[in-house]
Amino acid sequence: MTDAPDAAVGILRAHAEDAYASELAALAAADDRPRPPSWRLSPWAVMTYVLGGALPDGTQISPKYLGSARLVEIAVATLATDRALLLLGVPGTAKTWLGEHLAAAISGSSTLVVQGTAGTPEEALRYGWNYARLLAEGPSRSALVAGPVMRAMESGSLVRVEELTRIPSDVQDSLITILSEKTLPIPELNAEVQARKGFNVIATANNRDKGVNDLSSALRRRFNTVILPLPDSLEQEVEIVTTRVRSLGAALELPADLAALHEIRRVVTVMRELRAGRTEDQRTSLKSPSATLSTAEAISVMTNGLSLAAHFGDGTVRAEDVAAGLVGAVVKDPVQDLVVWQEYLETVVRNRPDWMDLYRACRDLETSDRSS
Amino acid sequence: MADVHLLGVRHHGPGSARSVAEALTVIRPDLVLIEGPTELDGVAPLAADPGMTPPVAALIYAVEQPHLASFYPLASFSPEWVALRWSLATATPVRMMDLPAANSLALHLTPKGPVAAASPEDDGGGSRSLYRPDAIGMLADAAGYSDAERWWEDAVEHRDAGPIERFAALTDAIAEIRAVDDRPDDDPDVVQNAVREAAMRRVIRGAVREGHGRVAVVCGAYHAPALVPADFPPASADNKLLAGLPKVKVAATWVPWTSSRLSLSSGYGAGIASPGWYQHLFEHWQNSSASGADVATSWLVRVAHALRRENLDAPPASLVEAQRMASAVAAIRGRPAPGLAELDDAVQAVLCEGSTVPLTVVHRELTVGHELGRVPDAAPTVPLAADLAAAQRRLRLTPSAVEEVLTLDLRKPNQLARSVLLHRLTLLGVPWGRPVETGRTTGTFKEGWALRWQPEFAVELVDASRYGTTVDSAASACVAERAQSADSLAELSELLGACLLADLPAGISHVVSVLAERAAHQEDVAALLMTIAPLARTCRYGNVRGVDVAEVRRILDATAIRACVGLPTACAGLDDDAAAVMRRAIDSAQTGLTLLPEMPHDDWHQALAAVAGSDRIHGSVAGRATRLLLDAGLVDREALAARLSRRLSIATPGPEAAAWLDGLLSGNAVLLMHDRRLLGLVDEWVSAVQDEVFDDVLPLLRRTFSDFSRPERREIGEQLSSGDSSPNRPAEELDLTRAGPAIRTMARYLGWEAHRD
Repeated sequence: MTDAPDAAVGILRAHAEDAYASELAALAAADDRPRPPSWRLSPWAVMTYVLGGALPDGTQISPKYLGSARLVEIAVATLATDRALLLLGVPGTAKTWLGEHLAAAISGSSTLVVQGTAGTPEEALRYGWNYARLLAEGPSRSALVAGPVMRAMESGSLVRVEELTRIPSDVQDSLITILSEKTLPIPELNAEVQARKGFNVIATANNRDKGVNDLSSALRRRFNTVILPLPDSLEQEVEIVTTRVRSLGAALELPADLAALHEIRRVVTVMRELRAGRTEDQRTSLKSPSATLSTAEAISVMTNGLSLAAHFGDGTVRAEDVAAGLVGAVVKDPVQDLVVWQEYLETVVRNRPDWMDLYRACRDLETSDRSS
Repeated sequence: MADVHLLGVRHHGPGSARSVAEALTVIRPDLVLIEGPTELDGVAPLAADPGMTPPVAALIYAVEQPHLASFYPLASFSPEWVALRWSLATATPVRMMDLPAANSLALHLTPKGPVAAASPEDDGGGSRSLYRPDAIGMLADAAGYSDAERWWEDAVEHRDAGPIERFAALTDAIAEIRAVDDRPDDDPDVVQNAVREAAMRRVIRGAVREGHGRVAVVCGAYHAPALVPADFPPASADNKLLAGLPKVKVAATWVPWTSSRLSLSSGYGAGIASPGWYQHLFEHWQNSSASGADVATSWLVRVAHALRRENLDAPPASLVEAQRMASAVAAIRGRPAPGLAELDDAVQAVLCEGSTVPLTVVHRELTVGHELGRVPDAAPTVPLAADLAAAQRRLRLTPSAVEEVLTLDLRKPNQLARSVLLHRLTLLGVPWGRPVETGRTTGTFKEGWALRWQPEFAVELVDASRYGTTVDSAASACVAERAQSADSLAELSELLGACLLADLPAGISHVVSVLAERAAHQEDVAALLMTIAPLARTCRYGNVRGVDVAEVRRILDATAIRACVGLPTACAGLDDDAAAVMRRAIDSAQTGLTLLPEMPHDDWHQALAAVAGSDRIHGSVAGRATRLLLDAGLVDREALAARLSRRLSIATPGPEAAAWLDGLLSGNAVLLMHDRRLLGLVDEWVSAVQDEVFDDVLPLLRRTFSDFSRPERREIGEQLSSGDSSPNRPAEELDLTRAGPAIRTMARYLGWEAHRD
């Protein structure tokens, strides 16, 4: 969301605790408030690290999360009460980003991560075995390979579980004992690992995945949930999209020119209006389509338009280049969403004089669809 | 020297209320003075009536102009209410001491008066908004509390001092706040405050002069430092301030109030956002010695119960977590104890899975609450009833218990005013008049009413008086509230129609804004179509009643476009019943759109064409669409004949064809009478229908034709029986020269000439 300063040379992407090491050090030095057990910083300093601010000695802390301070307060308070934290949100709402920075600020390390996928095995959440050793020496502590959760329990630090709802339900449930009893039994050795103070879990989940692998109510009850919203203001979102599209365009080596912010602004406005169910001027209510229409989709529409303009146009992104991508992003259900989209075209787009090119481009698309 | 105890309170502050109760038992005053207009003295004893249940509001209104009024809402946790009830229960004399409302309302009326300038944003709803600084809120804010009541509990209640010392300390603190007030002396609010405090001092002086030994003064904390007798300015200075104030004749009474209306602004300044929470605090403190539970815990238990009633999980273990969470959030925010804000956050994160939706249930059920007050029958007549009585006299409509039928000619101003009054009363839930048939007339300027006054209406009027003090303003406010809670578009459309009849421009703008919101999210195209006609009527006739027609028109345009976009899809796959609904909706929309000839109908006609052109759409709807297009001149006879012949061809099932024919023909026989070719096609089809199908088709056809008038049916029959219905008969030659004068006269009747230039 913001620029990452002084990353280690040659590394494509540095961990949060390395990228912002100087800020964390300055905060630790200035922080004289009580710290919960095993926390590197006090809750106040964690808040300052995430939301940005100035320290008494003049050090500027850059904001990491641009959003509601209230949500960050709830997140930090949750971690301080030893309840697990679940960050929910549609894709592209900085869930992972916020989790990483919280772990970096509180435990000084954001590297204990379990990436949830449809194929995440129970070993990833508990422990595995070094089979060579297991065969040679039989079951022993040295043959056991601790997973990230187990290491976090032993060291009293935060562990992150990404995309919790992608993990199969039976595997998810192995978290229940860990979260409620704070122990991880190892029946093979007739032993257990007891979590040290400071251990906690930050999980992220996509709330559009509802129903894929829904959390069992037993597990859900052990999390405090914070829903991260989509960006508040048009300006903020345009900025995010511009930055991302520019860097993606550079990576794909597309020569097209994005100088015209105009088109980005328009795409983001369309997405925001349909998502919110009302126009930016608050004067007209709209239906919302079934699609998410998150910031991430605006980025993909723009990248798509960029490549069309680069390969088939003159390099300048115009309404025709984004129209197809826009319709594709909005109309996921050919019946319901199409009605939503046509209503939007006729009641909003058509009435904006400087949007006529977009209106025509979208109508042309429809007619060509029908004739084919 | 008399002993004057100043009990500076927070209006509607449960903490203040509790302290006041304690202080009164300690002081045992022989006179209680309460901040409130002196006119309330007359009705104050009613507070002890068993029929009085808070929340209620003391209401003072100008007798001549009932719209000029102030409400003073009181809940059970209001310090003023506690003081009043204590005095009445202990038979201690109690008096009001604020500036008489006779003066403050009159000041409000005179444009140059200080008060008038102080409240420029009068909402016109009859209540007066006076700005009084929430001094205790400022102190709590300075101490870092989000919730002034929690601050009161910690900073005031938990001090090891008697209630009298606590109030004294508070008065000193407020004096400090007032000392740093740097508003200029001619600031309207400062001027107004000075006048009021002078009036209060005058009452205190009088009480002391009468020889009362111990006087308790319950006033807004902000005023307390100005009412310390030792620091009184000379009496002459106060008298000078109070001399020559304008006056109006006022009356006072009690009206029932509700929790949700406590959150509105009123005579006591800004409303409170969370009456239910305050009620909880007050009750909790009253019973705390018995239960020993923490305020937050007992609140969370109530939250859990509310959530469970909505079938949401709220296990006790989670309540423990929510409680810890609230404390942790409070700690992070640097607050000593969790307030409502922290509890809400904790409930949302722990019990509601981060979602705000269940939290709205909590807010509605608990934070605001559903308390509904009652006032005893002995309470004086409310201004709404007085306003109605005045209107009845003016319009010469006498209430009578015997039903009488009245026919009103709406072209006469007096009779129109009667109709408007009856419509407004119906909206207010006082159905004095019941609409009846006007007999054999097709004009729209006649309205029939059956009038019967029932004694219960007096109660309904008291109930309705919480909406406002005049029939007009109360009906508008009532409509606004009903619009908010309306479930369906049909209900809103009906309200809109009622507003037009009742001549309520303010109500119309409320309904229209809600309607716009709901219409946008409406999936049901038939419902959308049904809203077009009332909106169009509002556009057409609203401007003479001062409605913002441009806004209504914008919403009408959007609704029409939405309906047009959705129409073809919505017409697919309808059964007979759904098709009948859709056809009625289309007809209604057409009626509405016809009212506004200047509105472009292209989208509508395109949508109709899509419906008419599809063979998969129910015949009744498709036939109707064809008919409307025909009337609009968008389908020529050739195309119609082709379509008719296709629709009635042998491959189409009989009932389906009959439904189509019904859609096309119903309501008007002219089409068949004047186009012999069409009649011929229909005739051919009827004769060709197979016998077994004919039995199914007959009722449908009969219904179609029975709508036509008898002469029309005879004409059609004669044409058919004369055997001269062959499709190839040429149309009669018209002699236009001879028809000219008749056509011109007709055009003038239709008003076409006016549009030609």
